[in-house]
Amino acid sequence: MASESSTTARRVVVHLRATGDAPILKQAKFKIAGTDKFAKVIDFLCRQLHRETLFVYLNSAFSPNPDELVIDLYNNFGFDGKLVVNYACSMAWG
Amino acid sequence: MDRGSDAQKYVWEGAIPLQIHLHESEVTTLPPPPPALILAPRIGYLPLLVPQIKPFFSSALPPGTDTVWFEYKGLPLKWYIPTGVLFDLLCPEPERPWNLTVHFRGYPGNILTPCEGEDSVKWSFINSLKEAAYIINGNCKNVMNMSQSDQVELWRSVMNGGSQQFKVVGDNAISGNLETYIRVSSKLKLGVGGDEFSVKLNSPSSKTQRSIVETDTSGSVKTGRIPVRLYVCNVHDDFEDLEDAPHVDSWDKIAYINRPIEIHREEFFAEKNSISEEMPQAEVEDEQKSSSGDGSGLGTVEEVRETLREHVELCSLPDNAEIKLLRIQGIQPKLETPFAWLANNLMNPERFLHICAYVRVPEPITI
Repeated sequence: MASESSTTARRVVVHLRATGDAPILKQAKFKIAGTDKFAKVIDFLCRQLHRETLFVYLNSAFSPNPDELVIDLYNNFGFDGKLVVNYACSMAWG
Repeated sequence: MDRGSDAQKYVWEGAIPLQIHLHESEVTTLPPPPPALILAPRIGYLPLLVPQIKPFFSSALPPGTDTVWFEYKGLPLKWYIPTGVLFDLLCPEPERPWNLTVHFRGYPGNILTPCEGEDSVKWSFINSLKEAAYIINGNCKNVMNMSQSDQVELWRSVMNGGSQQFKVVGDNAISGNLETYIRVSSKLKLGVGGDEFSVKLNSPSSKTQRSIVETDTSGSVKTGRIPVRLYVCNVHDDFEDLEDAPHVDSWDKIAYINRPIEIHREEFFAEKNSISEEMPQAEVEDEQKSSSGDGSGLGTVEEVRETLREHVELCSLPDNAEIKLLRIQGIQPKLETPFAWLANNLMNPERFLHICAYVRVPEPITI
């Protein structure tokens, strides 16, 4: 695993999990550069599922700000080497 | 009734005087409308002011639907950042009133995430609150299990912010906004321990946790994690006067760090509160080392500087990076201040402590 102080793109493993009646992705695990914003994950999901709006959560708990960096979210809320992202078509954890 | 500490009252009542100008491209009347003068609560958010601002300008707007956004000297303002934090971050020399420009058209979707008025702000607030709860407790059950009426009261108390709205029914004053907020949020049990310095008004002083820590010899140390949002503005040139501080013209100039800070209570009481000012000498200790009781001063603002230093290291910036300005709720805190006090008294309603810092990194000299 790349050390924390390395500035080269450290990639984060994101595990996408469907919630409620949201369609399940064939490929659920992805790698994304840590320096990207969470908005990129949301956009990616919207494109993959062909939907305009999705509700996206972290650890089945809350929706992080789209401007947050993926690496920060991983450092704070990731476990087992990945970041668990839940997505739903309607509000799940209101 | 818990009325909160003095400091909490000041924070809650803090406000920024704004002078809001309608952008010239959207003025369709002659003469153009005069700017709107508004007192904005520090703990509030700019989109919540739109209902107050709109009447000043509605007659001058071109036809079309409103997509409101604010801008300071060309920089579109992120709407989910509390007004006070924006002011502390973007105005090193406080400008009174703060001159902002409002737009009702042409939302910069490439820079700002969409905002649909109060609902978007409320959603962002509740999610930040859940994030804080998650950081403090490891889960956000307490927020999700809030009753409907509690939720409504909590949001309303934040929305009405600093305004001194007391309703008197009979002989009893129904609580003002801060009291309502404290009453509802205390059910969430999101308080930070290790703080025996806050003096609460009108309530018996709580038993300090010192005795519990001293008798606890089992070795397991209770730690408190404080949610912190750190905004660092990197500047290159030195400036003595705040007026000469370089102006932020792009969000790329601001590094935003979101990381919990751990407090080890044992060390907090063992350490003296005074710390040295030179940042380069501050040791960066990772969490494993600290928990073995090395006696690192984690209970004070020094921890903040350590975090800053980590950030500096992450960006591979040289050792002579210098913190020019550190601001929380418009105050530059003394470095001896116990961090737990800062967290309990200066945090925003969504339980995050927002810290703004200007860090100077000299440019390498080209030969």
